[in-house]
Amino acid sequence: MIEFKNVTKKYPNGFVGLKNVNLTIDQGEFVAIIGLSGAGKSTLIRTINRMHDVTEGTLTVDGTDVMTLQGKTLRRFRRRIGMIFQSFNLITRTTVIKNVLTAFVPDLPWWRAAFGIFTKEEKIAALEALDKVGILDKAFVRADQLSGGQQQRVALARTLAQNPQIILADEPVAALDPVTAKQVMDDFRRINKELKITVLINIHHVDLALQYADRVIGIRAGEVVYDGPVDQVDEKVLDSIYQGGQEKTA
Amino acid sequence: MSIYDKLFPPKTITLANGKTVQKKRTRMPLVILILAALTALSVKVTGFNMHTLVSRINEFFVILGQMFSAPNWSYMPKVWGPLFDTIQMSLLGSVAGAILVVPFAMLASTNVIKNNVVVTVMRLFLSIVRTLPTLVAALIATYIFGLGTLAGTIAIAVFTFAYMGKILYEEIETVDMGAFEAMEAMGATKVRAFVSAIVPQVLPSYLSNGLFCFEGNVRYAAILGYVGAGGLGLILNEKIGWREYPSVGMILIALFVTVFIIETISRAVRRRLV
Amino acid sequence: MKERIEQAYENRPKRWLFELSVTLVVVFLLIWSASGIETSGTTQNGGKIAMNILSGIFHPDTKLLFNLTTKGVPYLLLETICIAFLGTIVGAIISIPLAFLSASNLTPKPVAFVGRTIIMAVRTIPAFVYGLMFIRVTGPGAFTGLLTMSLCSVGMVSKMYIEAIEDLDTKVLESLDAAGCTTWQKIRYGILPQLMPNFASTAIYRFDINLRDATVLGLVGAGGIGAPLIFAMNAYRWNEAGAILAGLIVLVLIVEWISTKIRVKLARG
Repeated sequence: MIEFKNVTKKYPNGFVGLKNVNLTIDQGEFVAIIGLSGAGKSTLIRTINRMHDVTEGTLTVDGTDVMTLQGKTLRRFRRRIGMIFQSFNLITRTTVIKNVLTAFVPDLPWWRAAFGIFTKEEKIAALEALDKVGILDKAFVRADQLSGGQQQRVALARTLAQNPQIILADEPVAALDPVTAKQVMDDFRRINKELKITVLINIHHVDLALQYADRVIGIRAGEVVYDGPVDQVDEKVLDSIYQGGQEKTA
Repeated sequence: MSIYDKLFPPKTITLANGKTVQKKRTRMPLVILILAALTALSVKVTGFNMHTLVSRINEFFVILGQMFSAPNWSYMPKVWGPLFDTIQMSLLGSVAGAILVVPFAMLASTNVIKNNVVVTVMRLFLSIVRTLPTLVAALIATYIFGLGTLAGTIAIAVFTFAYMGKILYEEIETVDMGAFEAMEAMGATKVRAFVSAIVPQVLPSYLSNGLFCFEGNVRYAAILGYVGAGGLGLILNEKIGWREYPSVGMILIALFVTVFIIETISRAVRRRLV
Repeated sequence: MKERIEQAYENRPKRWLFELSVTLVVVFLLIWSASGIETSGTTQNGGKIAMNILSGIFHPDTKLLFNLTTKGVPYLLLETICIAFLGTIVGAIISIPLAFLSASNLTPKPVAFVGRTIIMAVRTIPAFVYGLMFIRVTGPGAFTGLLTMSLCSVGMVSKMYIEAIEDLDTKVLESLDAAGCTTWQKIRYGILPQLMPNFASTAIYRFDINLRDATVLGLVGAGGIGAPLIFAMNAYRWNEAGAILAGLIVLVLIVEWISTKIRVKLARG
């Protein structure tokens, strides 16, 4: 369970990224976060696994205050949270399966991590993850030979291999064509329903958000302006999130 | 506005429709002036004398002729030992230097280490090691480690360390950081993220540059023998001292063939890497 | 589903044989190299001498450092710079025709091959051999050093010049042709602007290296900062050696900084 209590993030130059955010997200929810560019969607997501720090308020994940984590505890905390990026962030020169296997690297003894030696169980687990997103047949192909949609699914498989409880996705389909975007969103929904993993997605495409999520959070200028079930999102709500706002740059 | 522009203001060109364009004055006269001054100074300081050169140049070719017109083939058996010494020194030295430099290069890259102090100190360290001439390093090594191939190996390792260091950290800085960020988000330490995400990207150019460095080091190793650090340099020095030019020619031919073979293999391997 | 995964696992490409053999070869080479290293010369004094050297470097002999006569460090550094400077220029001048002769896009293949072989031969002969040969021509001193440096530069400089020539964009010549230029004009406006910055940049790069390698000359008595450095080290006068090394390192760092700036300007325009 993720709990934001009066969370504010202020940058050193005075810019306020998040203002007084109060949210509670339960395990197993599928939440879409929408808003203009620069409204704070990315910042919100990245505070959860402490890629960004919180300057005021408390942010707890399953009872742990995120700001108290350091070094080893922080790393172990991050193992339970998977992150999907807009630009896939794969190692393009190596094969798909090696990319998925990197999910195991933080837990390996140093000599196995240095030389990339993985056990049969780990390799099978990686293959299973690839199968869950439907690209088992591409397991031994070099990552840069795949299409964008396929690469994002490799990233998804990598995250699944971590066995996370929460998946944070930062604009996962922004770089994909509409058909592939739907396929990836289908994967997200399946993972959420079958494996009961909490999914938080930053997304620009409002129609996709409304189609797949259970709950929508609207962010504007760092503040939560809407937080409710997806079937209650109408024109008025969308106006309050998007209308009249200008592109803000941090 | 640089100083030059203040002294020689840009020329203003006016077009027929009234628009003006500023053209900066060419730097060429200044460049030529500096070059000419440096050349004149150098000629005076070094005592460059065309006349002497032209009149005595055939001495050079005489020696060259003595070396290669009738090289002493029977000397060849004595060459094998030092030749292998030279190769062994360069191989071990290159590998040692290349491997040792990896953590230092990682610490000198701004995209991996956010601490500016560490990065600057590392780069300064690498710069200073780079300015040390190999021969001086070899000489110092002979004092510390005694005469022989160990000193030469150390000198070559030091040189490789410095050479690869700069190339490596420059390469690391051009790398796509996406995968590194993903690894850190997954809970990997900086070192593991570096090994898993960055190393695969820089590995081909690292190996390629390493091989290139090794090629050069084989020739360097021959020189090191002159200060007693083992290898071909020792017997070269000896034979030149005795004016036994045919033997010198033999050694040089052996060196040439070896370098040729190594360079050909290296070039083939490097082409497959990239 | 399980069988599919097992199947995929069985079908994985088995590159391990290739990787294993490469590793074995490399390990074998390394062990063979290590076996050739003689450690017999290492004496107990090794550590002590290292300490002496370090202390000498950090307590340089300032008298020698600032001595302005012809025997002092500043003058010798100047001499070293001049040797490197002229040596690079002469080397570059020699390299230009050699490079043009060896470029595969300008000359027929046999000629290019011969040219490259000559360059390789010139490159293989160690510097001190040239030094000793030139001493017979022009006697000991800076002039010999200069000539030695130029021949040593030929190897790297001509190789890089050849690369620059082979990378020439000949499409520019096509457009100059269409505009009606003569051959000389095509060379002046099409080829030279591409080559000159490259040639200059290479020469500056080599100048840096020559400055460092000029210490070799001192060994054979060909002038420059090398000679007093070697004498000081042979006589275990570490303070003097430290002074000279300090001067050399500072000089090289400064020159390297300046030359990097110039080379960046040449590349970016």
